[in-house]
Amino acid sequence: MSALAPNPTEALASASSERTPKRRHATAWVFTIVAGIIALVVNVPLLNAILVSFKPDGEIARNPVSLPASPTLDHYANVLYASGYDFPRFFLNSAMIAVGTVLVVLVIAIPATYAVVRLGFGGRWIISSASGLRLLPAIFFVVPFFILFSTLGLQDTIPGLIAANTFLNLPLAIILLSSALRDIPQEIEEAAAVDGASIYRTLGSIILPLLAPTMVAVSVLVFIFSWNDYLFALVLSTSSATPVTLGAANFITSTGIRWGDISAASVLSTLPPLLFAIFAQRYLVSGLSSGAVKG
Amino acid sequence: MSHTVERTRSIARERRKRTTAATVLSLPLILFAAVFVIYPLASGTLTAFQSSTLLNQANELNGVDNFVSLFRSDGFAKAAGFTIGFSAVVVAIEMVLGFGFALVMDRAFPGKKLFFTLLLLPIMVAPALLGIMFRLLLNGDIGALPALLESIGVSVSLFSPDSVIPLLVVLDVLQWTPFTFLIIYAGLQSFPKELLEASAMDGAGYVRSLTSVVVPVLKPVLFAAFFLRAIDAIRTFDVIYVLTAGGPGTSTTTLSIFIYKTAFEAGDFGKAAAAALVVLVCLVPFVPFIVRRISSTGMEGKK
Repeated sequence: MSALAPNPTEALASASSERTPKRRHATAWVFTIVAGIIALVVNVPLLNAILVSFKPDGEIARNPVSLPASPTLDHYANVLYASGYDFPRFFLNSAMIAVGTVLVVLVIAIPATYAVVRLGFGGRWIISSASGLRLLPAIFFVVPFFILFSTLGLQDTIPGLIAANTFLNLPLAIILLSSALRDIPQEIEEAAAVDGASIYRTLGSIILPLLAPTMVAVSVLVFIFSWNDYLFALVLSTSSATPVTLGAANFITSTGIRWGDISAASVLSTLPPLLFAIFAQRYLVSGLSSGAVKG
Repeated sequence: MSHTVERTRSIARERRKRTTAATVLSLPLILFAAVFVIYPLASGTLTAFQSSTLLNQANELNGVDNFVSLFRSDGFAKAAGFTIGFSAVVVAIEMVLGFGFALVMDRAFPGKKLFFTLLLLPIMVAPALLGIMFRLLLNGDIGALPALLESIGVSVSLFSPDSVIPLLVVLDVLQWTPFTFLIIYAGLQSFPKELLEASAMDGAGYVRSLTSVVVPVLKPVLFAAFFLRAIDAIRTFDVIYVLTAGGPGTSTTTLSIFIYKTAFEAGDFGKAAAAALVVLVCLVPFVPFIVRRISSTGMEGKK
């Protein structure tokens, strides 16, 4: 989101009616209020979960709407330390799956995309089929994956879920990387070739640094999407590879639903993607919008 | 003379080197795609014609029996109907609201950066976890929403058959309007503003400029947002499965939930694969069209 000076529709509004600076200032605050309300409303579920997670058990049922009267960290302590929940293990599983997927996706996608875009391997249809694959319903692959993973011994393993998430995220990575590669001027590589650099050397020490921003964008998106996967985790994990998306529901026990604990668990589980959203927003926005718009 | 021969040779050698390098570099992708894309596509298609179950993947061909039983029971048709209706409604609402949000945010005002960040948060929350958060919000005993409604004298059971579908629509809109907003907003940022100045000069008002300048120019971006959302809406699984598991009855069973349940609750892999194949075959014809539509917004191959 570059600071493109006057925004189009703002220009439109101000061009169509003459306004004094003071009135413009007042209208600006109107937009602050409107945007604030929208931002609040779409986040109601998250905010509510955060509030509930700090309320003591008795208070949760007594006053559902209010702020916590006597805030407590008990639910977070339960989630992290109480025995029998296994939440820290789910969290670790999610982290391993997400980080592993990011690495595998980059290792597969970068060289292959370079080969397709720059060395003429295969042709454009590979990029197009990547776009196409992204549009197919993932549910089709659930049964074949289940059978395949049982045969390969990947069922309920971290490498298995990394493979499944790599499958889900490779298309987006290939799309983003190929459009970034096209923007790198070919002359740079030609100069490197004249200097006697091999293709691998050129890719490793010239192209990779230039691709860095796109690699960050791909990593952030792939991390978030694999962290958030539920369908494949549901089908391909039973206990030892269970990620947080599945494990957060474990607080619904035979004795009832531990609402405080479950809200603390869901807030904690949402934290890593949210932190990315806040601190890597630039990459996220560029990745999401160009991945959607190009392709 | 020998100089040119030498040159042709070196070009040929260069080309060979490039081909070898291209193959080596593509090898990981080829291997991965063979095992995790091509093979599952083939085996999934084959399963659709087999009497395979969760407990016994016997792999006996049974012709089109799976398809016959799929279309005999009304579960599949009902799921398809619900999925299409649900997707149409949520995508329409999300497009209109996303466009509206983008227009609101497309100017400078105090607090814009903060609200922009907040507005994007719902996209980042795992749909399954959001489902759990909705349960916290909507639960009859501890939920804030029923409590609020009760305090103004309205008492509804939010998960009753009458209110559950509108409820799911609202939830989907809350999570995914930020996505359509983001795509459309990004499109607005690269909008050629000379066009607007020209139309303002011609005396066109705000609404007029919007419908006759902004919308036509943004059309490719609007298409991209629409198709990406539509595709995702059609495969909706997580939130609805966590919240209602497709119920009450089968009233909120999407195609994805239907296929999942057929495979892993009823244990009928053959029938599930058949249903998945039908869905795939119905969607495939749209894929080249969508890919072309979306890529025309930016990427003209420079090759």
